[in-house]
Amino acid sequence: MTWLTEWACYLPQLMSGLGVSLLIAGISIFFGYPLGLVLSLMVTAKNLAVRTLGLAVVEIGRGAPALVILYLFYYGLPKFGIAFESITAACLALTWNSAAYSSEIMRAGLQSVARGQLEASNALGLSQRDTFFRVVMPQGMRSAIPGLMGVAIQMFQGTSLAYGIAVPELMKTAYNIGSQDFNYLQIFTLAGLCYAVISMPATWITVFFEKRMARHT
Amino acid sequence: MTLSEIADGKLAPRLGIKLDNISKRYGEHTVLDDVSLHVEPGTVTALIGPSGAGKSTFLRCINLLERPDSGTIQVDQHTIEPGKDVNSRDLAALRRTVGMVFQSFNLFPHMSALKNISFPQQKVLGRSKEEADERSRQLLERVGLKEKADQHPGKCSGGQQQRIAIARALALDPAIMLFDEPTSALDPEVGLEVLAVMRELAADGMTMIVVTHEMQFARDVSDTLVVMADCKIIEQGDPRAIMSDPQEARTRRFLRAVLER
Ligand SMILES: Nc1ncnc2c1ncn2[C@@H]1O[C@H](COP(=O)(O)OP(=O)(O)OP(=O)(O)O)[C@@H](O)[C@H]1O
Ligand SMILES: [Mg+2]
Repeated sequence: MTWLTEWACYLPQLMSGLGVSLLIAGISIFFGYPLGLVLSLMVTAKNLAVRTLGLAVVEIGRGAPALVILYLFYYGLPKFGIAFESITAACLALTWNSAAYSSEIMRAGLQSVARGQLEASNALGLSQRDTFFRVVMPQGMRSAIPGLMGVAIQMFQGTSLAYGIAVPELMKTAYNIGSQDFNYLQIFTLAGLCYAVISMPATWITVFFEKRMARHT
Repeated sequence: MTLSEIADGKLAPRLGIKLDNISKRYGEHTVLDDVSLHVEPGTVTALIGPSGAGKSTFLRCINLLERPDSGTIQVDQHTIEPGKDVNSRDLAALRRTVGMVFQSFNLFPHMSALKNISFPQQKVLGRSKEEADERSRQLLERVGLKEKADQHPGKCSGGQQQRIAIARALALDPAIMLFDEPTSALDPEVGLEVLAVMRELAADGMTMIVVTHEMQFARDVSDTLVVMADCKIIEQGDPRAIMSDPQEARTRRFLRAVLER
């Protein structure tokens, strides 16, 4: 059999794994971004307790390897009577991860908004709430877009770590197929292609946005 | 309809403003030392002086963008003591009465010109979108930018942006307008468009305080010329009198420097 025919017969199975990977990535991004926004506000809060808590969550989320957090959720928490299904544990760990990374990107974005924007808002008598949600956030988030897209790509690739706790995602599926016929080379090449087919265009779009942004500022 | 009739809606009462004993320090560094200024309703006050004199700081103290350490601000019958706690109602009332235009325009870059002017009206005055938009279009037309309504500020020249910024401030019916070097970031020729709008506003009787380096504007348009140097007001009075015969040596030095450029 040639590689192509082998790939053709493995592909349907792999697709279900890819679906699980995309699901985990999607969930961790969907919840990670808003949590990241909350964290970015906590980290800059005046209240010391709030700020400390925010910093701790962010620094652990960025400092600890995702696999460590994943293992903590899956193998560690049951010690306290909290047990998750493997896919839930993967989603929770990657959400923490993406929230931590995106909070730093959002904080930088929000801080990049010109001081004059706040002054104009204050001089016009806009409330703090309107100033944040209608003036600062739209501008800050716009400059954070390329970075946030980078986090999304990183999360998608990070789903392969869920292999470590037997989530049936792309890597795990590939491994299972490979261990039947020992066609590891073919199947992992195909798995790698699957990751690349999604990540590479996403990277191109990110670069496109970065360039467009650079032109407009 | 004149610009200020548009500006103050149903011809709101003209107000003056009294600032007394305003002081401001940054740490050890005194920036304003017991500055007092009374502005009569419907008059134009030009504020000039060397760089670092404290002109911008003083202007920003008037609407509390900068919080003075002591002093009083009196608008109408209303007195605010910024050294003490200012409640949010007083702050909101002050900012609704006083409009401000900045050197760097500070338009919202993610909103169209129309939205820049309408959005604050909706949020601060509670106008409906239709009311606000109608008002915004009137003002845009008045500053000569009707066709720019749907453009974003990035697509407008500096002079156009500054005129949009003036319209944005006027849309909230301020009784008093503050200008901090509104033409300094502009080419001289473009600055004229902005000065023309300001002249018209002054002619219509808007109470204005203008920090400026435009000596001709100060001489022709202002009722009172105020010279600041070293954290203080050193001289004030009739602009022509001061320009032709300054009483203070410091004023003379400054005027020579700007007029002989
Ligand atoms: N946030 C700040 N912190 C510390 N010092 C400040 C701050 N803002 C202004 N100053 C100082 O206060 C003094 C007065 O500044 P201000 O901007 O009011 O001067 P100005 O008269 O407007 O000058 P210019 O003509 O250059 O605009 C300057 O010495 C400046 O360095
Ligand atoms: Mg200044």
